[in-house]
Amino acid sequence: MIYKFSLVLVILWLLMVVASLFVGESANQVNLDALLHGPSSANLLGTDELGRPLLERVVLGAQTSLFVALSVVIFSAVIGTTIGIFSAYYGGWIDRIVTKIIDVFLAFPGLLLAIALAAVLGPGIENVVFALVVVGWVGYARLARAQTLSLRSREHILAAKALAVPNYRIFYRHLLPLIMAPLGVEATFGIAGAVIAEAGLSFLGLGVQPPDASWGNMIKEGTRYLLVAPHLVLAPGIALMLLVLAVNLLGDQFRDYLDVRGRHQNKA
Amino acid sequence: MPNFNRRQFIKSLSTATPVLRGIGAPAALSALAISGCSQVNTPNIIRMAVTGRPQMLDPRKATDALSSRVNRLLYRQLIDFDDSFSPIPDLAEWQQLSPTHYRFSTREQNRFIDGSPLTAEDIAATYLSVLNPEFGSAHRGSLKNIARIKVIDNLTVDFHLNEMDALFVGRLVIGILPKRLIEQNHPFHLEPFGSGACRCLSISEQSIVLERRIDKQQLVFIPVKDATVRVLKILKGEVDIVQNDLSPELVNYCQQQKQVKVKFSRGTNFGYIGFNFEDRLLSQLPMRQAIAHGINRQAVIDAMFKGHARLGEGLLVPEHWSGVQGLDDYEYNPSKAKALLKQVDIPAELIQKDKNNQPFIELSYKTSNDPTRIRLATIYQSQLKPLGIHLKIQSYDWGTFYNDIKKGRFQLYSLAWVGVKSPDIFQYVFASNAIPPKGANRGRYRDEVADALITRAAQSDSIAEQAELYRQLQTRLHEKLAAMPLWYEDQYAVLRKEISGYQLYADGRFDGLLQCQKKVTAQVNL
Repeated sequence: MIYKFSLVLVILWLLMVVASLFVGESANQVNLDALLHGPSSANLLGTDELGRPLLERVVLGAQTSLFVALSVVIFSAVIGTTIGIFSAYYGGWIDRIVTKIIDVFLAFPGLLLAIALAAVLGPGIENVVFALVVVGWVGYARLARAQTLSLRSREHILAAKALAVPNYRIFYRHLLPLIMAPLGVEATFGIAGAVIAEAGLSFLGLGVQPPDASWGNMIKEGTRYLLVAPHLVLAPGIALMLLVLAVNLLGDQFRDYLDVRGRHQNKA
Repeated sequence: MPNFNRRQFIKSLSTATPVLRGIGAPAALSALAISGCSQVNTPNIIRMAVTGRPQMLDPRKATDALSSRVNRLLYRQLIDFDDSFSPIPDLAEWQQLSPTHYRFSTREQNRFIDGSPLTAEDIAATYLSVLNPEFGSAHRGSLKNIARIKVIDNLTVDFHLNEMDALFVGRLVIGILPKRLIEQNHPFHLEPFGSGACRCLSISEQSIVLERRIDKQQLVFIPVKDATVRVLKILKGEVDIVQNDLSPELVNYCQQQKQVKVKFSRGTNFGYIGFNFEDRLLSQLPMRQAIAHGINRQAVIDAMFKGHARLGEGLLVPEHWSGVQGLDDYEYNPSKAKALLKQVDIPAELIQKDKNNQPFIELSYKTSNDPTRIRLATIYQSQLKPLGIHLKIQSYDWGTFYNDIKKGRFQLYSLAWVGVKSPDIFQYVFASNAIPPKGANRGRYRDEVADALITRAAQSDSIAEQAELYRQLQTRLHEKLAAMPLWYEDQYAVLRKEISGYQLYADGRFDGLLQCQKKVTAQVNL
């Protein structure tokens, strides 16, 4: 039941992203006659401190979060997986160096590094993506490396080597399909992490810049009016919470599905 | 009835003996319950929440507004200002014996907090220490026209000037310190010692505690950075007074709460939009006029400030002795703004096209990262957009923003002048020779007519003539839109209902603390 609810929420998120393509200038249109109005039939979620409709801005925020989440996950996964497979497959000094680099990145708090990078690079959605990719590739690299280490001595890999199959083909045809499942689970958690991280950076003023909407900067603006207009924080805050919860629950379900032992135990 | 609140209760538990910590807590809770959980206000303490800790309690070095306001309570000065910002006697009355010679006579026997008398020697020592270059006072610049200071007798001191200065008396606003402590290099910023209405009892990062000398009423300044927290604290009764520095919505919210009342008073803080006169577009008067007619200031005052501001005209408020009334208003008129924009010579490379293929020009608008300033900038942006002027808002932390403004790296910016009393501010802000770092002519405004009026006013030895010249100057600056006037924000204070007699002043000073009283009330929180 809860997984169906999670699925509905994620679908709703995607629908909001589609809807955001049809949101026009009205989302950024200042209306001095409607500052901080509460929810009403005219504005279902009320208006913000500049009289802009909150519903439309929440919808635009969904677009921002999806853009950041997908960009960060795709770039991080491609970079991290490539490095992890290369490192484990070739081994030796390459593996030792890569392992040390991964250890250094893991030793440093990820979000703190992202904040530092975003502060140096300056605010902007592209810089947020860059900063999160810099700290995000490590998880994929570690996972891909571990999986590759357990797979590189398998018979089908050795057979491919014996047949002089080029390495790139071994990676693509014989390794990658076998490590896709755990990487997929990592990616689902990565989506939730990226959404939270983008909101956090925007909350700190390092992410998406006004008048563009992001759930993080909407919460940031709303905190100033918490006493007089709590809906400014509640609307994006609840949207953020539900989305992250839903994505994490779906990730959990995906992991459980891939866990063969768990499946057999459940059946027994 | 015990005077107990939650914090004191927890503190008392933590300092109790180990046995009491173990078994005494329930007993203490019971005792508290039996006492009816009543909370009694402490009448001998009036608490004011302020935005930060006052930085400098030595009046010779204080430059920030918060420190200056607290220093007024600790130290008395030679003169003060009336409602029209004309100097009036405070510690001393004065006579102008010649254009460069002023005599100050203390009016009464004033005493420092230890009971020792305040004498002419103390006045001379205070100003001589400010004039000492090694001391490094920021106020030395405004006083360097003093040639010498001579003590005539115990109550009389003469100031001799290098050059005639009709505004000289208005510059003598430094709090007077005792000579013997100045000679001992007493750390006044840590242990204030003056002849003001209050004495300082303690200074810490958490609070500054003063005591009114007349009735031993304690006044506590508590730094609370966040505006929402300041409001929550006053609603809960942890502080009694919050003056200014709240968003208009929070002030409106406080007006609806039964525990507090809100007082308003006209203010003098002048908000404005600055132009860069070295810019190709903004150096053209029609361009500046188009912006002025394109921004609906009254709508902003009504919507954001709920009417608690008045339209600005000049840097000095109209009620100032050299202020000017009835300047032509730059009313909101989009069609006039569009017509003016057509008169602007716009280089082709500066004209861009939007997605509807409509031409527009982009102007950079710099502001601090204060959320209210960004909010205002966004409103201007939306009002100017239909005219074909796209404001590119760039918000920076205060240091970066202020540095950019001083160096002229901007097209438009917004700031406010706070606490302006003397009309010689015009020399500092609009004279051609006052471009930073020599002054505060940040817009690089160069105008021979304005320069001539500033020079003539400075050379005049008649206050009446100066007032007339400054009025002509303000009219000229207004016509040329040397800066676009926005508004004068009202002063306001949120007060607990127990506070009475608190008066607000146009310049935001805290002198209301000297008269206000707090009555005892018992709140039963059963």
